[in-house]
Amino acid sequence: MAELKYAFYTGCSAKGVAPELYNSTKLVAEKLGMELIELEAATCCGAGAVQEKDEFLALTINARNLALAEELGLDLLTICNTCTLMLRETKFKLDNDPELKDAVNEVLKEAGLEYKGTSEVTHFLWEVIDGVGLDKLKDMVVRPLKEFNIAPFYGCHIIRPPYLIGYEDPDNPKSIEMIIEAIGGNPVDHTARLACCGFHSFWSAEDKVTLKLTAMDAQSAKEEKADFMVTPCPLCHTQLDAMQEEAEERIGVNIGMPVLHLPQMIGLAIGLKPKELGLEKHVVSTENIVQKVA
Amino acid sequence: MDKFKLKVFRYDPTKDSEPYYKTYELPVEKGMTVLAALFKAKEEQDPTISFRYNCRAAICGSCAMRINGHATLACKVQITHLLDKYETDTVTVEPIGNVKTLKDLIYDMDWLVDKLKKVKPWFIPKEPPPADGTEYRQDPYDHHRIDFASDCILCASCMSDCNALKANKEYLGPMVHSKAYRFIADTRDGEKKERFEVILDDFNLEWCVRCMECTTRCPKEVQPYENIIRLRIMAAEAGYKTPGEIHAEIFEKDIYNRGLLNEMLLPMRQEGILGAIKRAPFGIKMMLKGKVNYADFFGGHKVKRIEEVQKIYELAKQKEKEVKIRLPQIMGVIYEDKRKTRKRPNYAETGGNE
Repeated sequence: MAELKYAFYTGCSAKGVAPELYNSTKLVAEKLGMELIELEAATCCGAGAVQEKDEFLALTINARNLALAEELGLDLLTICNTCTLMLRETKFKLDNDPELKDAVNEVLKEAGLEYKGTSEVTHFLWEVIDGVGLDKLKDMVVRPLKEFNIAPFYGCHIIRPPYLIGYEDPDNPKSIEMIIEAIGGNPVDHTARLACCGFHSFWSAEDKVTLKLTAMDAQSAKEEKADFMVTPCPLCHTQLDAMQEEAEERIGVNIGMPVLHLPQMIGLAIGLKPKELGLEKHVVSTENIVQKVA
Repeated sequence: MDKFKLKVFRYDPTKDSEPYYKTYELPVEKGMTVLAALFKAKEEQDPTISFRYNCRAAICGSCAMRINGHATLACKVQITHLLDKYETDTVTVEPIGNVKTLKDLIYDMDWLVDKLKKVKPWFIPKEPPPADGTEYRQDPYDHHRIDFASDCILCASCMSDCNALKANKEYLGPMVHSKAYRFIADTRDGEKKERFEVILDDFNLEWCVRCMECTTRCPKEVQPYENIIRLRIMAAEAGYKTPGEIHAEIFEKDIYNRGLLNEMLLPMRQEGILGAIKRAPFGIKMMLKGKVNYADFFGGHKVKRIEEVQKIYELAKQKEKEVKIRLPQIMGVIYEDKRKTRKRPNYAETGGNE
């Protein structure tokens, strides 16, 4: 069996407002036989913010992040959709534009680094399917989530734009459903499955756009009688879980839809305890889920 | 499969109180487009189906509609591909989203045209034409910056699937901002300031949620999302102070000083002391849930090799001005994953363009 070893890029959220994602990823990865070597010298990916002010700076900073994974000779594994996109965008631009790559490398050289383009950028979601494999995951399930209706929420940057992501069809992705089925749950289709959580316009259009989308998304899962939503992105999670009450208030609706990080959901099925996975750290109560799996 | 179902959105406001769907069974023919299927249904089964079309060759932009939930040109996608892609026997066609439906698949264009007019989507020269009788000339790099944006055929596929527009109809939308970019980025244009004032009114340009639907849907690879970002870069360069600009500065400072974003102090720095007070109840809620990293209130920890980050940061900032970044051509680009996979959806083989 191939060795499942990755350069682990945590991103800011897992080290900030989503400690439960960081902890559950490490626990679940270990159980699934994935070795994560944390890139402790990696910086923020710029999250699109730096990219829209200083494009070259953003490319250089991310070229450094990629070079750190190349130093280890490993593929870089993310746990955030936006990190995935920003790093893949950098890679795409540098790999397709030799002059730009040279310009970036002139800067990196001064710090003794070089971007070569030898490491892939991958996401935890994809590696559970392609690295660990669904058959192995199925074998490890000790607590099938059979009584749960689970609403997948992909988040934009793990499917779009396809010229940068291209893992699966952005119009009809299946990866999260495949994992839900492997751990015995029932994936439910809902209108906001491929929609946006609104996170990235929060500081410019909180009331006008962001919270409306957040409410629509959680509502959509509720309409299909989902027990909880699951997402591979901590930004979607912050928006849908931590900001759900705010969205309810502004829109004047009552939703109360729990949202799990992808590794938390997998963790429950392979025998980890809700407490270990940090389910109590959620803003929308996960009490119903905790009681059912107990 | 020799037959498939064409499920068509039907609505005639003069007769119907509610829209409904009508299904037509048609033979699966090799090479048949959705537009051809609509013609067949109209000619052989139901002459009342209404839809717009013209060139039938993905040039005019008239036949944009939602096909199995996603906006595209009906003349550009083939039935056999759709049946494979969605593993179904049904192709559903609906009018594009975010716009009022007039009849069946025909939507109200006036609303889009009114939005478009706001950014004056035509060339306004900044100086009279050259005295020697030649044309307004432009160097190839400058032209390259607006080349893809000029390809827009106003089909409104991007407007249909835009998440920000779904939430708020006051958002100008990707088609309009992208058109504004085409002229603001044109070195020969003389009304940049006026155009900026329109798109930055109430920071409209920054309502974009970066969902990437527009760039994904665009049948002409215009890159509306990328154009919105290029506009934001240009607005920052032109000295406009927006929430996005403040946000970017915070990110840059944190990358320089500590490597990772300090999420705990973000609200205070983004919105000042009043913002911090407004966000206090939310902050307390997060504290009670154990989602707060207290060390960050006192600066928090730094990533390893931060001196290296700072050196690279400073050099990149210096070099920035001299680097000419070419826009990547995304037409036909399908990411080729080199890893061997056991079970992977077959997107890499079929591609994004039917």
